[in-house]
Amino acid sequence: MEQNNSLPPFPQGLASPPGAMTPGLPLFSPMMPYGTGLTPQPVQNTNSLSLLEEQQRQQQQQQQQATPQLYHSQVSTTTALPGNTPVYTTPLTPMTPITPATPASESSGIVPQLQNIVSTVNLGCKLDLKTIALRARNAEYNPKRFAAVIMRIREPRTTALIFSSGKMVCTGAKSEEQSRLAARKYARVVQKLGFPAKFLDFKIQNMVGSCDVKFPIRLEGLVLTHQQFSSYEPELFPGLIYRMIKPRIVLLIFVSGKVVLTGAKVRAEIYEAFENIYPILKGFRKTT
Amino acid sequence: MPSSCPECGSSNVVEDDLYSQRQWVCVDCGSVVSEGHLTTTVSDETQGRAVPYHASTEVLKKPCRNLIAGFSRVRALCRILRLSSDMESAVVSLFERAYNHPNFIFVTLTKKEILGGCCVLSVCRQCNWPVAMGTIGYLLGVDNATLGTVYREFTKVLNIEISTIGIMDMLESFCYDFKLGPQQVEEVFAEPAQRLVDRTSALIELAADAWIVTGRQPLPLLFAAVYLAWQSLNPTVRMKYTFVKFCKIGQAPKQSWHRSRDSVVKRLKELRDVLCKLGRELPWLRGGAVEPNTVVPLVDDILKNRRALLMRAVRNHEQQLQNESQTAQTTECDDELSDSNRSDSHSSKTPELMDPDQAGCENPPDKEATDCQLPPNHWSKRHLFLPPCVKSRKRRRVDAPQLEVTGDEEISDGEIESYIRSQDEIETYLKVRKELKNKA
Repeated sequence: MEQNNSLPPFPQGLASPPGAMTPGLPLFSPMMPYGTGLTPQPVQNTNSLSLLEEQQRQQQQQQQQATPQLYHSQVSTTTALPGNTPVYTTPLTPMTPITPATPASESSGIVPQLQNIVSTVNLGCKLDLKTIALRARNAEYNPKRFAAVIMRIREPRTTALIFSSGKMVCTGAKSEEQSRLAARKYARVVQKLGFPAKFLDFKIQNMVGSCDVKFPIRLEGLVLTHQQFSSYEPELFPGLIYRMIKPRIVLLIFVSGKVVLTGAKVRAEIYEAFENIYPILKGFRKTT
Repeated sequence: MPSSCPECGSSNVVEDDLYSQRQWVCVDCGSVVSEGHLTTTVSDETQGRAVPYHASTEVLKKPCRNLIAGFSRVRALCRILRLSSDMESAVVSLFERAYNHPNFIFVTLTKKEILGGCCVLSVCRQCNWPVAMGTIGYLLGVDNATLGTVYREFTKVLNIEISTIGIMDMLESFCYDFKLGPQQVEEVFAEPAQRLVDRTSALIELAADAWIVTGRQPLPLLFAAVYLAWQSLNPTVRMKYTFVKFCKIGQAPKQSWHRSRDSVVKRLKELRDVLCKLGRELPWLRGGAVEPNTVVPLVDDILKNRRALLMRAVRNHEQQLQNESQTAQTTECDDELSDSNRSDSHSSKTPELMDPDQAGCENPPDKEATDCQLPPNHWSKRHLFLPPCVKSRKRRRVDAPQLEVTGDEEISDGEIESYIRSQDEIETYLKVRKELKNKA
């Protein structure tokens, strides 16, 4: 059975590796559009995929220097996708697919909070939904509308969809452990109702996190420079949908500075995605 | 069935359904022994060799009736939007591709019509022809959400690159849609289109700097900006005309603005507020009051000097914040001293004494009432211009206290029992259900 280790709280206020920053030099100064002189100049290459790999290699080299271990067991190389962007009012080079690498990173100091975890588990036996709906207080069942029992518990505050095949979906928990505990409680309820329920193949399917970068973001600029990852249709949805490739996370970025991250299977992916996007967003921070 | 041929006497008589008439033919001499009726009954027809429709060439030669109707609809859309013939042919071929795709071949007719609109939109985007989704939606008679879902599916399924369109691209064609030429309306209302475009684009740039544009629907904003621009080009005469009247003068089609009337009103308010904030910085007004309903005559001056006014406004705002934080610090020191003096005084007096000091530390009086929903040290206080969604929080977010669990704790029986009905409850429930069913 899969265990999701609870990770230690995300370390805040990490000191940047020594020598990475020339003191006094503003990070995103328009005079130095590609970061400090320490970062390699970007390769002007129209092939976006090779540029990605180039970036990954650059990042890995920087990572091998004294970057502190940011995450618990599941460490993936922090591939900073499009790093800081030049602060131009008009998109001068919209055709260049990837902007240069991020300088060896300083932590943003902001930790995305998990808002929802969706998990599934197999109770391992066929269930009679009518009996469950009749004998449980916290269940609703409307076969004409949906073919599952909707059950809710108070602590942790979650909702479960229980299907007649014995499979169950648990939503609403705020952490992996809470999701697991909630799923176990539902299984126990079903057991007490007389079914030989087991607890097989518990798996976290999706994790949603959110945070606030505390400055407004120019979404129109972001969609121009990160065209192949972003989709911004103000007529349909007020936020920008950013599909990050590594890690495979979808971010909803709003003009107010709020960011929603979804599609993660583990907590580290959310943190990594946010650390990747934060320098990009800082590049689009514009004070009038 | 005849058994022998009368001509040659052979018994080799076979039934032949080569022709539509059943015949018995002698194999040896070829003579027709007997034949059935030329007219058929149902029983006869079932014995004939039928060729089903899907096996015939009919279905290959003639395209589906709905596809033909779809083509004509799509061509009509292209003609309304005045697309070039190249674009029109691109749209038609894209529509055929989309129509015959397995995801779309079996959908409802309305969805197929929307699909046609999506093809038009996609080709326009690719050729940088500025067409808003709202325009396509208004032509098809659907709302943006429905159009959006079909559009998203369409681009995903056919792997089409979507390029975003900016509000400034749509501006020119939008302004030209208004019929405000000297021949079309009275002298006082007439405005050359280019002047209107220039004024509106300046207003929208200003709105973009003040964070009114990002994340919002472009069409209501365009309407608001065009209206304000039109008013400001001859304020003495045009101030008294409302937005609805303006749309009637300019003969804007009612369906295009009617639905988003409320949004247009909100954008007008926001635009006027921004203009007021900048208008206050005009040196020749000498700090005089600038009100939203009287700011229109000043728009000309404001737009001419908007960069300088923006910098001034931001600088003054920062100055004001600095002063406030200094006074807050001094009043805090005073409070500490007075607190120690007042430690044994009546508690009801302290709120009254504290309040004027508090008011000094808190927001300046001219900020909107919605600001007090935000916590006192919210980052938004530092900025003069902000996206409105930051300033007006609709509902206070309550973060539930985090539950520290390991996931493997013991689950108490009592808690689980609380989720299970007792036998009495079940019986009562069944009884009530039965009674309700009998009554219904």
